[in-house]
Amino acid sequence: MREFKPQDALPAPIESAGLVGWVRQNLFPNVGSSIATIVIFAFLAAVVPDMVSWLFIEANWTGTTQEDCTNDEGACWVFVSAWMQQLMYGSYPVDEVWRVHLGLISLAAVIAAPYALPKALRNKVGVPLFLLYPFICAALLDGRTFGLEFVSTDYWGGFSLNIFLAAASIIIAFPLSFLWALGRRSDMPFIRSVCVILIEFFRGVPVLALFFMGSVMLPLFFPEGTNVDKLLRVWIVLILFMSGYMAEVFRGGFQAIPSGQYEAADSLGLSYWQKTLLVIFPQVIKVSMPNILATFVMLFKNTTFLLIIGIFEILSTTQTALSNSNWLGGHAPEGYLFVAFVFWVCCFGMSMISTNIERKLDTSHRN
Amino acid sequence: MSTEHIAPEKASSGSFINNPRNRAIFYQALLLLGLGYFFYSIISNALTNMEARGIKSGFDFLTSAAGFDILMTLVPYSATSSYAMTFVVGLLNTILVSIIGIFLATLIGFVMGVAYFSQNWLIKRLSVVYVETFRNIPLLLQVFFWYFAVLAALPSTRESLSLGEIIFLNVRGLFVPDLIGQGGSSFVYGSVAVAIIGIVFMRKWAKKRQDETGDQFPVMRASLGLLFGLPFVMLLITGFPFTWDYPELRGFNFQGGITVIPELMALTIALAVYTGAFIAEAVRAGIQSVPNGQTEAARSIGLRENRIMSLIIVPQAMRVIVPLLNSEYQSLVKNSTLATAIGYPDLFTVFVGTSLNQTGQAIEIVFMTMAVYFAINMTISFFMNRFNASVALAERK
Repeated sequence: MREFKPQDALPAPIESAGLVGWVRQNLFPNVGSSIATIVIFAFLAAVVPDMVSWLFIEANWTGTTQEDCTNDEGACWVFVSAWMQQLMYGSYPVDEVWRVHLGLISLAAVIAAPYALPKALRNKVGVPLFLLYPFICAALLDGRTFGLEFVSTDYWGGFSLNIFLAAASIIIAFPLSFLWALGRRSDMPFIRSVCVILIEFFRGVPVLALFFMGSVMLPLFFPEGTNVDKLLRVWIVLILFMSGYMAEVFRGGFQAIPSGQYEAADSLGLSYWQKTLLVIFPQVIKVSMPNILATFVMLFKNTTFLLIIGIFEILSTTQTALSNSNWLGGHAPEGYLFVAFVFWVCCFGMSMISTNIERKLDTSHRN
Repeated sequence: MSTEHIAPEKASSGSFINNPRNRAIFYQALLLLGLGYFFYSIISNALTNMEARGIKSGFDFLTSAAGFDILMTLVPYSATSSYAMTFVVGLLNTILVSIIGIFLATLIGFVMGVAYFSQNWLIKRLSVVYVETFRNIPLLLQVFFWYFAVLAALPSTRESLSLGEIIFLNVRGLFVPDLIGQGGSSFVYGSVAVAIIGIVFMRKWAKKRQDETGDQFPVMRASLGLLFGLPFVMLLITGFPFTWDYPELRGFNFQGGITVIPELMALTIALAVYTGAFIAEAVRAGIQSVPNGQTEAARSIGLRENRIMSLIIVPQAMRVIVPLLNSEYQSLVKNSTLATAIGYPDLFTVFVGTSLNQTGQAIEIVFMTMAVYFAINMTISFFMNRFNASVALAERK
């Protein structure tokens, strides 16, 4: 009896496997695509080496003044390092910078607290700490409340100010926007229309117009003689602006909650606030988290607009540095690239987190 | 099954305080009182403050002479024109930048969004890198980058970059030839209008014929033929009634032609590139929202690949894309106020910037400006909602 012996399978043809196969499939699948590949490669080959050389190889890294930038063929990163203190902390006194650091660390702590604290303490300690953070941090930076040296808000600035303003605004906007979103869903016609007007107003108007409103119109609305700090007015505007957007995010969240949840809560005999805070709110937060982060990224980027009304955030500091008489060498590309890099890292990081959450929450059957 | 209904009034036969209707009235009255007090106090404060600072109120200032020049105007304007005219000039400049910006952003966005689905690995990476880079950098920074780092580095007037000695690019802006119509040119403009009306009717007819007989008519080719053919024929008949006005270097600057100032260029490039990244993301999400089964079903009935895209995927993707486009367009218009940072004379710069500084009438000016942006956004929303209705899923009635 002859035994059946299967022959060994032939290896995949060279043109469809391994590196060659990958290149064929992904770079040269057809004529049009091949042309595109060649054009892009030619472009990259023309641009990338020069760019890498300018950015890193020929760049001037060490020194303190413009005279240290001896190589004209490369970027002058000395410009950035010389202005680093200003770019990060504005004119905040150097000896007191630890307060800014403490503020940033406590921001991270307040965000991490709900994860670290035991479940029982989460709502009783974590949430109040979160909501009180902006006020504690402002008092810390100001210094008078804690008996520290007084630092006027005129000296606050730099990238830390962008972070503080964005964080402090979204934290206060959380409860406020939640109320607006509830109001918009309310059965009471007057409350509903007031909330609709508020939300649509702050969403429909350019944020720059709101900042101008804060800087030129708001002072007219306060009683005569009261002088409200400029940064505080900006903060109020940012909170209201953020609340408009967040209210719509929350509204989307409310709509995603099945009506069975409301009915179940009603049938248990929970009051309106018990139902909203214990049953609905946690679910709304969960489904809205990616959108909340996206809104926060928008707010964070928009803090650079404050330059226009003369707040010394990072971009404004960069402009000042660029027009400084000791640094008139045309360092705009270096300065802007640095600021862009700082923002890019933060915003890209947050959008990665948001994509991650979205993926975790997404239980639908994707094809 | 019992169909007994318990009247809600009887169910909550509790006290007066627990009646939800009474409570609703109470809360709303409370809010009304609060709002009333709030507005009363800010208005009275504003009135006393304005009196103390000697600020006038009312809209009389609109008729008085503005007394400043504007860098770029689409309608005749001089320093003696009124503030109302300043308003119009600013508004037109805002609309100009918005329209160019929206057009370019849509173009970039759709190309980059579709590029994400390219078979070509390089093109796909390019799309991802573009979106992730420009989406995550503040817009104002991008405006500054184009204005102070790129356009400011262009050569001076004498060493302009030129394209066939017709188009010039230098640090003062982009200079392109202008087309000036003469006698007979109105016939050519008229033929364009006739072609557009013709296309609308032809599409209706072609759709009706396809519904009845199933025959397809090459609508796209016929439309393009009409749009270019008819004016071309008209041009031949009237003997090309146009002359070109070329930019020429006279003295220190170029004269003649159309000048695109660097402020306008920087702002539109930045707006288009930034918003384009968001539109690309919307297009990507839209195309991804169409289930794979649709493509497979289309293939199995024998549609060609490019037909699948245009007949099956895109119409379904539009349902997701259009609402997102609506909000991106609106944010582009709102973001165009950043013009004020580089001095492009849009509504915000000339009105909230210069006019407010001169007259001090903050409340009137800020509210007028806000109302304009609100109105522009409402208009965009109106048209996009109508467009949305035309692409929305036809629900069973």
